[in-house]
Parts: sequence; structure tokens; C-alpha cells
Amino acid sequence: MLTSIKNNNFKYESQKLGMMYFRVAIVLFGAQLLMGLIAAIQFLVPGFLFEVFDFSVARMVHINALVVWMLFAMIGSVYYMLPDETGIETVGIKLGKLAFWVLTAAIVVVVLVYIFIQIGPGKESTIWLINEGREYLEAPRWADIGIVVVILIFYYNVFFTFIKGRKTGIMTVMVANLLALAGLYLAGMFFTDNISIDQYWWWWVIHLWVEATWEVFVGTLAAYALVKIIGAKREIVEMWLWIEVLMLFGSGILGLGHHYFWIGTPEYWWEIGALFSSLEPVPLVAMFVHVLYDWGKEQGESGSKPAITNTPAMAWIVTNAFGNFLGAGIWGFFHTLPQVNIYTHGTQFTAAHGHLAFFGAYATILIGMMYLGIQGSVGAKRMKATFKSKMAIFLITFGVLGMTVALTIAGYEQVLIERAELGGGWDAFFTAQNLPWYVQAQVWRTIMGVVTFIGFVYLVWDLLTIGKQAQAEN
Amino acid sequence: MLFEKFTDVVPSFWGWLNQGPLTLTIFLHTIIILPMIWLYFKEKKRLNGK
Amino acid sequence: MSQNQSVWTSIRFWRQSAAWVTGFAVILLILLTFDTIGQITMGTDADLKNGITKRVPAPTVINYHIDYKYDQKRGHEVPVIGKKEPFFGKEWSPKEAKELLHLGKLTSQAKNCMNCHTLLGNGAYYAPDLTKAWIDPKWKDMIAMTGSKTKEEAMVKFLMDPSNNATHGRRMPNLKITKDEAMGLVAFLKHMSSIDTNGFPRGFSKGVEEFKAGGTYAH
Ligand code: HEC
Ligand code: HEM
Ligand code: HEM
Ligand SMILES: [Fe+2]
Repeated sequence: MLTSIKNNNFKYESQKLGMMYFRVAIVLFGAQLLMGLIAAIQFLVPGFLFEVFDFSVARMVHINALVVWMLFAMIGSVYYMLPDETGIETVGIKLGKLAFWVLTAAIVVVVLVYIFIQIGPGKESTIWLINEGREYLEAPRWADIGIVVVILIFYYNVFFTFIKGRKTGIMTVMVANLLALAGLYLAGMFFTDNISIDQYWWWWVIHLWVEATWEVFVGTLAAYALVKIIGAKREIVEMWLWIEVLMLFGSGILGLGHHYFWIGTPEYWWEIGALFSSLEPVPLVAMFVHVLYDWGKEQGESGSKPAITNTPAMAWIVTNAFGNFLGAGIWGFFHTLPQVNIYTHGTQFTAAHGHLAFFGAYATILIGMMYLGIQGSVGAKRMKATFKSKMAIFLITFGVLGMTVALTIAGYEQVLIERAELGGGWDAFFTAQNLPWYVQAQVWRTIMGVVTFIGFVYLVWDLLTIGKQAQAEN
Repeated sequence: MLFEKFTDVVPSFWGWLNQGPLTLTIFLHTIIILPMIWLYFKEKKRLNGK
Repeated sequence: MSQNQSVWTSIRFWRQSAAWVTGFAVILLILLTFDTIGQITMGTDADLKNGITKRVPAPTVINYHIDYKYDQKRGHEVPVIGKKEPFFGKEWSPKEAKELLHLGKLTSQAKNCMNCHTLLGNGAYYAPDLTKAWIDPKWKDMIAMTGSKTKEEAMVKFLMDPSNNATHGRRMPNLKITKDEAMGLVAFLKHMSSIDTNGFPRGFSKGVEEFKAGGTYAH
């Protein structure tokens, strides 16, 4: 992947820019995993880095690196597919490159401040300069404003390239959806003393990102990738895309209500949240069926000759179809009814769902896009999975599934003992945390985290070398 | 028990609709689906009429 | 002309349906948001004096006793605002209470409480949920342990030096919280416990007495 940027096989600068975004994304992914491991160890060995690098710091960097690497990989994917879809070079490519460097520099500063300064006094200046202290949206206000400016540049590029070039259905959805995605960020950029109103808008960003706009984004990427990798028919893919948009937005927008059960908001959200969010898995099943159906069909049609032009990318996209359905659909539905959520709300059960959903729905397909990018950068007609590709996808998927199962067991314990039996509270919390089965589950989570990390090492190794290998074979 | 007494703190239009099992969501789902039936027949006419 | 042209495979139909459903869901969400924000905006000091229940009461709720009791009509526990009680030995004016709460909320963000604890159930799962921390029965022990006279005093002492007032191996670190900030945080926690959370957490700390008496899980 390093060489892929210097490589001249790209017809378009936009695709090179896409690769630059991918490169930063993968580094941040590594940072995310390391921070996750530190936080996981602190569950077991509370003295580990105590008052030096506390759990809150490790966790903050863990989830911020997560969100940022995904946004980077998403922007990278868009720059990558833009010329393919529109048939022209991206309009403001110079500006786009400048924005890339500005954004990357800003992220580096933010992370250094998180790591070395960590917290500040209870003053407005802390929120402007150090961190905002709201889960996922910790980025200080100055960085928020910077991010908005950079995103505006990005959107300008996408929008005007779309207007100038060929207008495919895939790009129509992309352009509309990106506007919503970017606009939502603004809902998380203000301070209020009222914690209920604070969380009300906080969920607009978090939920309407991951369960509406990001999902539609993934649908769009999958549509593009299926056309590209297995030559699926565009009319069919585009029809599916509109059906997905209908179902995802139809359920996901009001499904927001499943976060408004207990934050001070009125009781009518029980019903709205329960019913609309229960429908959220439906489009995920549809997406799953769609990918597998297309895959099977295209393979059948071309007979003995393998029709897949990029097997590692395809493997990650199929994992995405599974993972999205399992992590978001099944694990999400587990705790989405208020009758269940009153006990599971804010337990390890939520963490189990968060891990499998973010991994299954987003990490997978974005890694798939990176493989697609590498294939393009070396100009190979075909790219085959190597031993390292296989180790990477197996270990990472197995590791995350293992962590999810462990956390689900931990969550179960916590729900039954801390919440149902003891009724929550300080003593109830620690009683459940110290039960042997809970502790064992945390041990397994950490072990599976290490497995995930080893898979990540294979992934990076593969991304760095597979391009040359494919070039040699072609 | 189909129609329960209003229990929420503040009476409101939405709370008023939410007075029995699923009343609010059935209402909302219905008004979302109905226009799609209309869209369906409009499209059917267009496809087969030409 | 053929009769077998199906609408189900018409891109146009799905595009129009998607636009309608999305547009309508957005409009509904906006209408619901207006209603909800109206209901969760903080009440006023006058509301408290007149006994008007608000989902999120005024900052001056810190001048009152707060309990959390089962409500027959609603079928779950709700906060109950009782008689006046001094908070840090005095009654806070609306302006003072507002400023104290502001300092507390700001400090909660500046010190990143939400990346260890949950607030209203959202955040991290490393430390206890703080939604009803103010009424946690454990503060009774903590008053003795910290040598304090009142709960608020014990909380301030704990927050300013949690690692030396620890109750478990998993300690809360010293976050360099000043005395004023700690008082603000206590006001913030007390205010949060007065928010009507539709019964979350359920049966708050109901099993703790049994646990203390040597129940199933007592070590
Ligand atoms: C690094 C993680 C961490 C951070 C950050 C943190 N806490 Fe804690 N907190 C803990 C742990 C662990 C305990 C349990 C300590 C014990 O029992 O000795 C705890 C206990 C508490 C308690 C008592 C528990 C209860 O249920 O009442 C309160 C109150 C509290 N913290 C408030 C805060 C506030 C306010 C902040 C932000 C200013 C904060 N904490 C930040 C880890 C943290
Ligand atoms: C890819 C899509 C999804 C992602 C990435 C995702 C991620 C997450 C994350 C990270 C949280 C925890 C938030 C926090 O830190 O407080 C969460 C909470 C939640 N999710 Fe999802 N989710 C997805 C889809 C779904 C779906 C489809 C459902 C329901 C069917 C669902 C139901 C829930 C519920 C009910 C909660 C609240 C948990 C609680 O009360 O603690 N999610 N989700
Ligand atoms: C090395 C592997 C990993 C380890 C050891 C790890 C560990 C952790 C820990 C300890 C937490 C804090 C949970 C808590 O508050 O109790 C956490 C949170 C989280 N992690 Fe990971 N993690 C790993 C990989 C991942 C991956 C691959 C993803 C997604 C792609 C991910 C997404 C998240 C999310 C979304 C949260 C917030 C969950 C919530 O609030 O509910 N993590 N992780
Ligand atoms: Fe959600």
C-alpha cells in the first residue's frame, strides 16, 4: 500500500488521493486496537497504568481512532470510486489534497493532546482546546470546526464532480446521503447544562450516523463493489440500492427512539423506538441476501472460470454482509425492546453489540475497499487472496466474534446479577464485576483481542505486499 | 385494557396517540405505507399504459 | 404494452417510495423533537415551589430532598421531590444553583467522566452508573469512612481524592478536581437523580440490604 501511492497505474489523481486516506486509516486502526488492549487489561489489572494512562484515556482514544479511521476510509472510498462512476477526474483535486493534509495534521494534534494532556479544568477552554468529554464526540471544539471546513471541501468536490460527470444511480444516492451524514455532525457541536437535551442531540449524531447514513453509505459501496468485482448488472444493483434506502431510512430514522427510553424523554418513545428499530434488521437481511445472491449468480454464469476479479476484497464484502446482519441486526435486536433494554442498558451487553456491529457493518467493507484500491494501483486485472490475506480475515473475524461472545456472557451476568437481582448501584455493580464468570469472560475478551491484533498484523503485511505479487502474476 | 389511561407526565398529542398496545406505531406505519400503495398504482398505470 | 411489466422491478417506483418514506420519517422526527424538547427543557424555580412535576426540574432542585419511589399509576419508579433540605449547609438562589450546575456539567465533560461511567445509562462500563448516584445507599458508609457530616461533604471528599477513599481494587483515579468543581459535580449528580428516567434503573439498589446482611453474594 505504501508503494501504491507512488504507483502510476492510476488514470486519476482522485484515486491516488483515495489511497492516501486509506493509508492513514489503517494506521489509526492499529492505534485503535492497541488502545482497546490497554483498556481491556485495565479491567483485569486495575493498577495497570493507573493515574498515568487511565481507562478513560485509553477508551477515548480507542473509540475516537475508530470513528476517525472509518471516516478516513469512507472519504478515501468516495475519492476512489468517484472517477469510476462519473467518468471524469475529481474537480478540485488540489484543494482535496490540501484538505487531506490539514485533516491529518489536525487529527495528529488532537490525539497527542488526548494522550499527553488528557483532561483540563472545568472551564470552557477545556472544551475548546482539550476534549469535549462526550463519548465518540470528544474532539475539542476547534477541531470540530476544522473538521466541518474540511468536510465542506470534500463535499464540494463530490458534488461538483457529480454535476459535471455521468450521473449514475449509485452516485445520486451517495451525494444525497453524504449531505445528511455531514450535516448531522453539527447536532453534536454545542454545550448545554441539561444532560437530557445533551444526550438527545448526541444520539442524533451517533445513531443517525451508524444506523441510517453510514448504513446507506455501505449499501452504496457494496453496490459499486459488486459491479466492479463480479460484474453484477447495474440496473439490478441500483434497484436494490433504492429498496435498501427505503428500508434503512424508513426504519432507522425513527428507530432513533430506542435511545430515548431512559434519558428523561417522554414515554411515547418506548413504542416508537421499539417498533421502528425492530424493523431495522429487515434491510440488513435484504442486503445479506442481495450480496450472496449476486455472488452465487455471477459465479454460476461464468462457468469454470472464476468470475471474481479480486478475491480478498470479495471475501471482506461477504464478511460484511454476514457481520452487518449479525452484529447490527441480531445483536441490536437482542436489546432494542424497552422491556429488555431497561436491564441491558449500559452494560457489557451494549459493548458486545457495539463491537460486532462496528466491525461487521463497517470495518469489513472498508478493508475490502482498500484491497480494491491496491488492485487498481498496480493495474492488475485479477488479484488473488494470499496466505496472509486469509490469515488476516480469519484471525480478525474470529477474534472479534470471540470478543463479542465473551462480552455477551459478561453482559448476561451483569444484567442478571447487578441489574435484575440487586437493582443496580455502586455495590451491585462491583458485586457483578467480581463474579468469577464475569472475570473469566473479561479474560477471554482480552485473549480474543490479542488474536484480533495478530490478524491485524497479517492484514498490514498483506496490504503492503499483495500489490507487487498481483502485478508479478498478471 | 386495550385503551389504557394516560400515564405520562405531560399530556401531549403523541402521548395521546400512545394509549394502548401499539396504537401510535400502527398509526404511523399506516400513514407511511398508504401513499406507497398510491405510488404503486400510479407506476403500474405508467408502465402498462404506454 | 405488455401486462407483465412488474412495478416491483421498477427503479422509479422504488426511488419515489424511498423519497417519500425518508421525507416523511424526517418530518415526523422533527415534529417529535419539538414536542420532546419542550418536555425536557428544565423547569423553573416556581414549578418546584408550586409542586409542578417536570421531567427535568430547575437547578434549584438541589435545595430539596430527592427520593426514587414506585409509582402505581406509571408502573415504575419515579423521582419524588420532597421537603427542602440544606445543600452544603445553605439554600441556593436560582442564580447560584444555575451557576453551580453549569460548573458541574462542564467539569463532568472536562474530566471525561463518561469514558468510565455511564450517565443516564450512556457512556462506558468500567465504573458504576451515575444516574441515581446521589441516592445510592452506599454513601451512608462513605459518610463514616470519609469522616464527614453530610452526604454532599462525603461526595466532595471522595471526588477530590478517590484513589485514597477507594472501596474496591478497581479505583477511580485522582482527576485533580478542585473543591469548587467537586461541589459543582455533586450538584450535577443531585440534579441528574431528579430527572424522570421512566423507571431506569429499575428497583434501584433493592438487593443491597440483603447483600449487606450476608446474602447470596456477600464475601
Ligand atoms: C478512569 C475512570 C474513571 C473516571 C474518569 C471517573 N471515574 Fe468515578 N469511579 C471510577 C471507579 C473505578 C469508581 C469505583 C471506585 C471505588 O469503588 O472505589 C468510581 C466511583 C465513582 C463514584 C461513586 C460511585 C457511585 O455509584 O456513586 C462517583 C459518584 C463517581 N465515581 C463520580 C465520577 C465523576 C463525577 C467523574 C468525572 C469527574 C468520574 N467519576 C470520573 C472510575 C472513574
Ligand atoms: C451498523 C450498525 C450499528 C452500529 C455500528 C451500532 C453500534 C452501537 C453502539 C456503539 C452502541 C453503544 C453506544 C454507546 O456507547 O452508548 C449501540 C447501542 C445500541 N444499539 Fe446499535 N448499532 C448498530 C445497529 C443497531 C441496530 C440495527 C439495532 C436494533 C435493532 C441497534 C440497537 C441498539 C440499542 C438498543 C442500543 C442501546 C444500548 C443500550 O441501551 O445501552 N443497533 N449501537
Ligand atoms: C484488540 C481488540 C479490541 C479490544 C481489546 C477492545 C477493547 C475495548 C474496551 C475495553 C472497550 C471499553 C468497553 C467498556 O466501556 O467497558 C471498548 C469499547 C469499544 N470498542 Fe473495542 N476493542 C477491540 C477492538 C475493537 C474493534 C475491532 C472495534 C470495531 C471495529 C471496536 C469498537 C469499540 C466500540 C464501538 C466501543 C464502545 C462500545 C460501547 O460504548 O458500547 N473495538 N473496546
Ligand atoms: Fe441506535
